[in-house]
Amino acid sequence: MAGIDLTVEVCGMSGDGTIAAGGILNEAMSRQGYSALAFDSYPAEIRGFGRCVTRSRFGDRPKLALTDRTNALISLDDEQSRSRIPFLAEDAVVLFDDKPPSYVEENKSIAAHVEPTMTLYGAPFADLAAKAAGSARGRNLTALGVFAAVFGASPDVFREVITGKFAPKGEKVLRANLKSFDAGYEYALETFSKRLLNTAPPLRRTDGSRKVLTSGNTAIAEGALAAGVKLYFGYPITPATPIMEYLAKKLPERGGRVTQMEDEISSIGAVLGAFFAGTRAMTATSGPGFALMTELITHGVMSETPAVIIDAQRAGPSTGLPTKTEQSDLQAAVFGGPGDSPRIVIAPTDVAECFHYTAKAFQLAEKYQTPVIVLTDFFLDNRVENIEPPALEPEDARDGNIYPDASAKGAYRRYELTDSGISPRAVPGMEGFMFAATGLEHVERGTPDYTPANHMAMSQKRYRKIRSALADLPAPEEYAETGPLDVGVISWGSTFGAALEAVQDAQARGIRVGALKITSIYPYHEDVIRTFMRRCRKILIPELNFEGQLSGLIGHLDGTEIVRLTMATGVPMAPSVILKKIFEIVGEKAA
Amino acid sequence: MKTPARELAAKVKSIHDSHIFSVRSDELPTWCPGCGYFGIHFGINNAIQRLELPHHEVMIVSGIGCAGRYPFFSGTYGLHTVHGRSLPVATGVKLANPGLTVLAVGGDGDGLGIGGGHLPHAARRDININYILFDNSIYGLTKGQPSPSSPIGMKTKASPLGTIDKPLNGSLMALSYGATFVARLFAGDPESIADALMEGINHPGFAFFHIYSTCVTFDKQFKTWDNLKSRTHPLPESHDPQDYKQAINEVLADDYSMGVLYHAKPVAQ
Repeated sequence: MAGIDLTVEVCGMSGDGTIAAGGILNEAMSRQGYSALAFDSYPAEIRGFGRCVTRSRFGDRPKLALTDRTNALISLDDEQSRSRIPFLAEDAVVLFDDKPPSYVEENKSIAAHVEPTMTLYGAPFADLAAKAAGSARGRNLTALGVFAAVFGASPDVFREVITGKFAPKGEKVLRANLKSFDAGYEYALETFSKRLLNTAPPLRRTDGSRKVLTSGNTAIAEGALAAGVKLYFGYPITPATPIMEYLAKKLPERGGRVTQMEDEISSIGAVLGAFFAGTRAMTATSGPGFALMTELITHGVMSETPAVIIDAQRAGPSTGLPTKTEQSDLQAAVFGGPGDSPRIVIAPTDVAECFHYTAKAFQLAEKYQTPVIVLTDFFLDNRVENIEPPALEPEDARDGNIYPDASAKGAYRRYELTDSGISPRAVPGMEGFMFAATGLEHVERGTPDYTPANHMAMSQKRYRKIRSALADLPAPEEYAETGPLDVGVISWGSTFGAALEAVQDAQARGIRVGALKITSIYPYHEDVIRTFMRRCRKILIPELNFEGQLSGLIGHLDGTEIVRLTMATGVPMAPSVILKKIFEIVGEKAA
Repeated sequence: MKTPARELAAKVKSIHDSHIFSVRSDELPTWCPGCGYFGIHFGINNAIQRLELPHHEVMIVSGIGCAGRYPFFSGTYGLHTVHGRSLPVATGVKLANPGLTVLAVGGDGDGLGIGGGHLPHAARRDININYILFDNSIYGLTKGQPSPSSPIGMKTKASPLGTIDKPLNGSLMALSYGATFVARLFAGDPESIADALMEGINHPGFAFFHIYSTCVTFDKQFKTWDNLKSRTHPLPESHDPQDYKQAINEVLADDYSMGVLYHAKPVAQ
């Protein structure tokens, strides 16, 4: 029942080919039928430049979280890798170079530092590569060869991936790399013949699928392209920049354009201008840039102009921890900016959802004439998962605009008060519907007006409109048995993967616990959430921010006690942390 | 001496009802009677009319301030954005629908103060946006504070001892940022405004119109009608708008010469 669940790290200095080795490992394991989730982590204790760590979790079933224990460490530089020992599982396997270059002192070898419960596989990576290929440069691939032999993975699949990666660099380079890999593989088969683990054999795919390693950022960009985005305006910021770079390559082929703007204010300004003129546009940023955008976002709310904004959250406040993950922009996304300014906020929980929610954002923005904020985070943006290439829901590509009827010509009321709150929207170029939109409060025709009754009526219209969007927003998904529960775990964003894993683990141990996934952050499905809360003795809301921002948003819905599990560490929450909290809560009941 | 408010309102209404403006909405302008902005409005009106631009294919994007209210009065498509951001929004509009004639309008506080960071980038992108800066060197809508183009020594409620910061020169800025069309004009000369606009709208890149105007309510000292009328004059006959250095020299030498300062030769694609 436990199945295969293997977390592998590659650690080295820059120049060792660490990231390249991690990428090849991910691709090879994916092609052998494993689920893969990888997130290159940069340890908080890093000093200066140079240390690279890739972290990948492979399994026979999809996993949406990283664990906090690594099962196998491939060390390309022992001095760097020693810092990873505290993160290894008790029975971890360590692959290392037992005849490292002369500049590594003997007492720095990782072999002298691992716990006695761990298993060491030493092979002369550099020597083997040098002998086989004439240069030690391919020793990262030699290390992968050792990994494949020890874990029983298919060398042919590794060779196929290496060929795909190095063939474009010419026959000579390719041959050297293949030889380096083979040298490690053959050496390990022979040397460790008595203690090969065979714990990661090729799995037969049962569904005939061809999964593709995709990052959250790539999925976002692909979702936007599928939905027909034509213009991207943005300003470089970690971790959102790869979206701009990806689109800069792809948009011109489709008659579109990426324009790097002078700041985030102008980026959102241009997005609003483009949508106002009838074209799908988007921007992507992170917290500091999002803060700059909020004034114009509320202009979009007031003037009822669509916009699509990706807020790839990182740890804050201010410049914060630019390369660390956090979920601390939730309330800024929902409430940020001057005045009562309802807008749509959605938050995908995995890479496939990054695609679907971004595509959906355009449809929602047009139909409800509002800025739509897609909240992701560093962990979701930068990790890769192997997923089926997502397919667009046809409705998301359709023009979501609701245009005025010809009969309204000459007497057009741009902000006509309707039951849904949606008023047909003309775009410049349409004859007979001219109007001026404004960030000032206005009457139905669009002209400024500051009278009390009108401000009330227009505020009601804007809230009515956004609430009516619930009909098109994904409802919370429940993962629970029917009947009363001891603990209900409500989670959002990238933390949901860890929450679900913890809940399923607890359920398997007979605990009455359920999970509720919330992706529509605003507006949110009050009734569904309240009904779930009422079934639970206690609610647990794990999230990566200090005060519990989702708890703050939805906690008032019911009297059920809410336990906030919050962390401001900059690293993804591990399932084990949530599981421990679940135990604690049910333990209280027993006591 | 002071004209009663009711009389002033009647004057504005009479201008409005005279239909001297053909590109207009039914909204009564909120500008004070005697405001230089009526002259700019008239110039824009005449350019649109003479170029025979369909009104629904004209889009006016504005910032905040007295000039920012322009889209409500123009009778075209309009977007009154937030303070200082007309140029980025206009950039999005133009790239989304290049068939539209896009005018960005705003005052000196909007364009040289809070939004001053956008002018260089609109100029270097050189997208066909026509940016009309209504420069009366004062914050009028907030009732008379000094602006980035106010002369040294301007006394206002926010600068009771007189301003001490040096004024910015919009024309010089646009030229140095590489704008490919720069005109300096006077609100009291709507015919020249119309002529320059017709030329600038047909210019394929970014066009900057620096229009000296009055604030009859809050500036009784510097940019008054009398001062501007007596000091402004056309550019010398010898001025060659295709000569970039001459344009720079003209702006450095003379603050009050009016006309098309610079119109870059079209670049062969």
